[in-house]
Amino acid sequence: VTDLAWLTVAEAAELLRGKKLSPVEYAKALIARVEKHDGQLNAFLRFTPEIALEDAKRAEAEIARGNWRGPLHGVPYALKDIIDYAGLPTTAHSRILKDSTAQRDAAVTERLKAAGGVFMGKLSTHEFAIGGPSFDLPWPPARNPWNRDHFCGGSSSGAGTATAAGFVPAAIGSDTGGSVRNPASMCGVSGIKPTYGLVSRRGVIPLSYSLDHVGPLTRTARDNALLLDLMAGHDPLDPGSVPRSAPGGCAGELERGVKGLRIGVIRHFYTTDMKADAEVAASIEAALGKLAGLGAEVREISTAPLGEYLAVNRTILTSEAYAAHERWMRERPQDYGALARERIMAGAFVRAADYVNAVRLRRKMADAFHALFSEIDLAVTASSMDPPCRIDDPQAVEYTYARQARAPFNVTGGPALSVPTGFSKAGLPLGMQLVGKPFSEAKLYRVANAYEQAADWTKRHPAL
Amino acid sequence: MPDDALTLEEIRRMAAEIGLTRLTDEHLQQLMRATQIARARRATLPVAGLVPADEPALVYRLADKP
Repeated sequence: VTDLAWLTVAEAAELLRGKKLSPVEYAKALIARVEKHDGQLNAFLRFTPEIALEDAKRAEAEIARGNWRGPLHGVPYALKDIIDYAGLPTTAHSRILKDSTAQRDAAVTERLKAAGGVFMGKLSTHEFAIGGPSFDLPWPPARNPWNRDHFCGGSSSGAGTATAAGFVPAAIGSDTGGSVRNPASMCGVSGIKPTYGLVSRRGVIPLSYSLDHVGPLTRTARDNALLLDLMAGHDPLDPGSVPRSAPGGCAGELERGVKGLRIGVIRHFYTTDMKADAEVAASIEAALGKLAGLGAEVREISTAPLGEYLAVNRTILTSEAYAAHERWMRERPQDYGALARERIMAGAFVRAADYVNAVRLRRKMADAFHALFSEIDLAVTASSMDPPCRIDDPQAVEYTYARQARAPFNVTGGPALSVPTGFSKAGLPLGMQLVGKPFSEAKLYRVANAYEQAADWTKRHPAL
Repeated sequence: MPDDALTLEEIRRMAAEIGLTRLTDEHLQQLMRATQIARARRATLPVAGLVPADEPALVYRLADKP
């Protein structure tokens, strides 16, 4: 084994299962890497090497006894710091919760612990998954490992940074208007917003009850499928959880290729509704060319204008977020960072009728969008409209933060996977989204895997 | 009243009515900006196509348990 930092979950699992790699040595290598480089990147808000070594020793003993639990057994992972890990603070990167301690694990934490994962720590986020990147909080914002002067996306910023930097092969984030897919896109990794209700949100600090999703970030599509297979499943304690068995087998369909699959391109999102940067648009067209070359049928489709989806998303998001935060906003407004305070207060005076109308529009938009899948197998569109901007330029961050085509799929609720499509001339990552009808995650991974093998972007890593 | 006519004193009064009494002038400026953006967004919601029978998504359902 040459460089443990770049092992995928799937590669590590093979080595660990075959006892060719020690979980303890693997954990120690990644701990040393975090200690050496994270001072420059701020991916971890709370780094827990002592827990990682305990988990790794336990995994090593179990595997030695022949009790291999599955692909995450002995593999390091980390959690966005809005996800509970019993006994540790869940700060949401905020002064408001700086001294809190989680009493129980989140549902997703329970599942990753049961799978034998090695917990490396809690990751930076935009404050309460909405306000960032901020420089007025108790912890600094995460930075882009491809160029630390640039924005790494958010709100699951540490998850994108840690995965791309080789600190962990898998990290868990949350996504309300694109917060898994934004850092995935900006950091050159894969990140999915699964179907609403597929992964339990229990133990995850809410931003917007009806738009929040939990999803994994990884360096490959295969790893993402492996993680989602572990995370998905009904949870009767999450009122939004879908009472169906886990889709399972996402990883099992990866090698089926794309020949004959019908791909609909929502080009108007990034050409006319909102004009993407030329390098972003060109990278998507090149990816579509590759998919066509692999045997997919590519055709253009259209849906409601991007602006209508964004208006519905923002109306619902700000209303629900304000409701969740109203007590703190009354009692401790000074304890929020400026960005979170302003973005959350946007919901203070939304009229009830506007909120209800947005939720009514949501049903119509979702029904109309999912009807398109009678003629296509999946859709492709942009993720971010621009390459990552500088992190120290608040106007550029504010401008590019809103220039995205991710929020429509928080509105429709179906799965959306952001995958890397190469690099800008400045060496910064670019990406696109694969979008499906509800519970079609396996198909998205199948296409992502075929493209990834043809394009080879995932073999490039940032030099830290 | 047009949104651009909102003043700091008006937003202070509106904030107080909903219990936001601890906001500083800087916070109130933020609230004013955020409110103006939110109100502008209202105009972009495509409500013209809605009819009264269009139900909201995620309507509450009772569980059918014994």
